[in-house]
Amino acid sequence: MPTSSHKTNKPKVATKNMHAHKDRADLHSALTVQHLCVSFDNNEVLKDVSFTLSEGTIAAVIGPNGSGKTTLISTILGLVKPEKGEIKILGRHLHEVRHLIGYVPQRFHFDKYFPITVREYLDLARHKNHAKSRIEEKIREVGLDLSILTAKLGTLSGGQLQRVLIAQAILNNPSILILDEPATGIDIVGEAAFVNILKHLNEEHNTTILLVSHDVTMVMKFVDEVICVNKKLLCAGPPRTALTPRKLEDLYGGESHLYEHSH
Amino acid sequence: MIIAELLTYPFMQRALIAGAILGVLLASLGVLATLRKMAFFGEGVAHASLAGIAIALLAGFAPLPFAIAWAIFIAVVIYALERSTKLPSDTLIGILFTASMALGVILIGQTQGYQPELLSFLFGSILTIRGIDLIVIASFAVIIMIWLLASLRQLTYLSLSEESAAVAGIPVKLQTLLLYIALAIATVLGVKILGIILVPALIVLPPATSRMLTHSFKSYFVMSIVIAEVVILSGLVSSYIFDFPSGATIVLVGTVVFLTAAAVSGLTKKS
Repeated sequence: MPTSSHKTNKPKVATKNMHAHKDRADLHSALTVQHLCVSFDNNEVLKDVSFTLSEGTIAAVIGPNGSGKTTLISTILGLVKPEKGEIKILGRHLHEVRHLIGYVPQRFHFDKYFPITVREYLDLARHKNHAKSRIEEKIREVGLDLSILTAKLGTLSGGQLQRVLIAQAILNNPSILILDEPATGIDIVGEAAFVNILKHLNEEHNTTILLVSHDVTMVMKFVDEVICVNKKLLCAGPPRTALTPRKLEDLYGGESHLYEHSH
Repeated sequence: MIIAELLTYPFMQRALIAGAILGVLLASLGVLATLRKMAFFGEGVAHASLAGIAIALLAGFAPLPFAIAWAIFIAVVIYALERSTKLPSDTLIGILFTASMALGVILIGQTQGYQPELLSFLFGSILTIRGIDLIVIASFAVIIMIWLLASLRQLTYLSLSEESAAVAGIPVKLQTLLLYIALAIATVLGVKILGIILVPALIVLPPATSRMLTHSFKSYFVMSIVIAEVVILSGLVSSYIFDFPSGATIVLVGTVVFLTAAAVSGLTKKS
């Protein structure tokens, strides 16, 4: 696991109760979610969720299975229509800033026999204004060898595919990178490398990163902020202060503890 | 010698030109249809077009344009029902195509006398391709290919992952609907040569063969078209030489090419 460099000295998440914080006024908002309500077949999945995320933050949405984490991300991405509420990205509506968002899905379901090379796959996402050389640049940035570009997408290992998906998501230099359960199926070594890639993106390009994770212990190591969701917003803020034993109990039920990874 | 001879016949010239155009069209759309597991869609639309042909014959309209309009209607209905009901796509297509075909059978029963054109639609016939058919086939093919080539990146992306394509701002619903309509039109255009029963084979066989032999999307796409051209043109020539039905001959040639590619691909993997 890489060394953790918490930036908890600059709180970047504001719930509706936290807007009064003075130090937030100077920060630009990367994402603002206000009074978001989402229902499927009259079943309320998210209820009145509000938070603000400042530019350059690494934040994690956490919560138990079925808590609405993926629904929250899907709504932010415009894949799910909210019943109520408003979402602003960089102060604008999604359709105005779609090109500034990178997305790594939870499970990239695709036909493994789909005849497409890694280069061709990455090129699908490349903005016309960007040179083709950007593909090589991003492949290097995620720590892959350029020889992978000629490989068939379906032949990649889980870890390689994860990096290729990140390379594709950052191809157009997004201002916000959204990842849904990105560490699923990756081993501990792969997970450490993955965390390093995200930290590098954040530090080098000031990319705002919002990821969904069920692994609270893992996200505690490197995120600036957590957004705790279980149908509604339960807590938000720097993990060390927001994730109190009481909040964890509210979130996951029963007695919950955080264990430090030894790696 | 025989080829030089058959090229002197106007009906054969029309059939070869129509075959060459359909090869490009059906293989290009077939690439996307097979990637999106829509092979049954082509089957359904082809069979459903029987009702359109029967209505046209009863009413005295030109069958091909009417069959195209009917197929577009069926494609739009399938698209709408897929998004508004909880039934799986193959179930919906199965219901619609059998219902439309049943309607066609009953309507055909109402037509009087021998219907040679109807038989040509069922099994395909190179003799029935008229100049006007060629113009219709070429016109639609040009329109569809312009859209397809302009949208190929988007269509490939959404064939891989609809979710990622939607996030990237690709109009997933519109492009999917256009793909359904294009596939429906191309299927009906192919009916004259291949017949309702056999036309779906040309959507499936060339891409399925190409897939075993290629590695990249570009080579997969190009190889599918090359295979379709070889299969259609050699099938048409063979059907003339041996006096076999054109559709059946083309499909059998395509099947032989597919099996050969499967054997070569299997041997290559083992070695």
